[in-house]
Amino acid sequence: MSDYSEEVEKMSFEESIETLEGLVKELEAGGIDLDRSIEIYEKAVILRNHCREILDEGERRIKKIMESSGSIKVEDLEFD
Amino acid sequence: MPEVITVTQLNTRVKELFSRTAGLSDIWVSGEISGLTKSTSGHYYFVLKDEGSEIRCALFKGSRARIDFEPTENMKVRMFGRVDIYVTRGSYQFIVETMEKSGVGDRYVAFEKLKKKLSDEGLFAESHKRKLPLYPKTIGVVTSQTGAVIHDIITTSESRYTADILLAPAMVQGEGSAESIVAGIELLNKAGVDVIIVGRGGGSIEDLWAFNEEIVARAIYNSKVPVVSAVGHETDFTIADFVADLRAPTPTGAAALILRDKSEMRSEITSYMTRLNRAISSVLDEMQHSFEVLDSRLDPQRGLDALALQRMRIENLSKSADRALVDKMHDMILDFEGLDARLQPSRALDDMENKKEYVEASLERINVGIMTSVREKESELSSYSKQLEGVNPLNVLTRGYSMITGPGGKVLTTIDNVNVGDSVTIHMRDGKAEADIKSKEMKE
Repeated sequence: MSDYSEEVEKMSFEESIETLEGLVKELEAGGIDLDRSIEIYEKAVILRNHCREILDEGERRIKKIMESSGSIKVEDLEFD
Repeated sequence: MPEVITVTQLNTRVKELFSRTAGLSDIWVSGEISGLTKSTSGHYYFVLKDEGSEIRCALFKGSRARIDFEPTENMKVRMFGRVDIYVTRGSYQFIVETMEKSGVGDRYVAFEKLKKKLSDEGLFAESHKRKLPLYPKTIGVVTSQTGAVIHDIITTSESRYTADILLAPAMVQGEGSAESIVAGIELLNKAGVDVIIVGRGGGSIEDLWAFNEEIVARAIYNSKVPVVSAVGHETDFTIADFVADLRAPTPTGAAALILRDKSEMRSEITSYMTRLNRAISSVLDEMQHSFEVLDSRLDPQRGLDALALQRMRIENLSKSADRALVDKMHDMILDFEGLDARLQPSRALDDMENKKEYVEASLERINVGIMTSVREKESELSSYSKQLEGVNPLNVLTRGYSMITGPGGKVLTTIDNVNVGDSVTIHMRDGKAEADIKSKEMKE
């Protein structure tokens, strides 16, 4: 499962929540063995933690972009 | 005794009533100028009338400067402004903020003409409207760096899904503003943002005009990423609004339309986990059922092998929040191993039922536990922040008190600390002043 953690780490919020939704639906559909059920649960927990991390720890950057004589410049946005 | 108020109080009440009443401010009124007089200080006073009625109007010097023609007697005009009470006289008048000449060739005609042309060309077609990204990484904003719009967007997005904000500063009114907005949209396309907000705060039709220019409409249409327009007040419609992929009523509304609310997203995650727990319970139910079927033909060794495999995998579940579940599953397997040699199907079945309940209760506890701990942290934080506010000396100063320090910077709290001739410093909310003590007197 540590492989899966690494895989999830690279996922965006959108990918994670979609994957989580897919797993929940698979488990809800039934007809799968205990083996797969536990695997789904393990993966879901990893995905849930990742989603929460993104929500709790996301830091945004606020910048401004300008173009003068053909060159683009990005700098921090500051107000007087 | 009935309440008796002064005339000033009465007129002030009416003034307040007018200012609060919708439909009396930020309105357009049309009519003909009559009885025009200009004061030496540069204000214009006149009466605006139609066939049936008239209203006194005041066009102050500052607003006059924004009008590009000279108002004259009998001129037919359209004026933007508000109705106000002149308290001294107890009369009401219309305060003009801006004014346009009525007649063919004016902005309204231009607006309608361009709207029809672009509509015929398909620039407003629903089929061209793009969907906004659900989770944008970067939001581009084309607006003035000094206006309220960028602040509103930054503030509103604080409690929402985290996205970077990239401002392309633009002039949003006056000559060259349309070109400036177009350049901003193109620049943000180059920068690879996920969605663009184009906007400005409220104002007269003149102020908003850049958003009715054809080049702005085409730049929005040609943008590779979706554009949300947020121009003026909710009641203002510009060409930009028709071309945009989505029209937001206000800049705050634009940020709210683009970014999902975090608490709503948290509930969504929780609801997936609730469904997952329910589903896993039903898998356990199925297991129990299978176990019943096995009743008479159980092969202990095979069951043991399968369980040993599950145990290894469950042990790999390392997140502490789910530790309780793992432990219970673990215990369950240990118990099962003990059944190896002395398997009694009916006893095992009862045992299974107990374990299942245990697992379900554990899952429930994990979820409740997480929620409780988050709530506790939140309330702790809010109580700390209240305590901090209480001891902040600046709060006392903002309430209108001043603090006086003597020579050496010591705060003066008793008359004994101060002597005639001492220089002292008075600290106020927003600055300080030096003063000399002229006399002193002890309170009896």
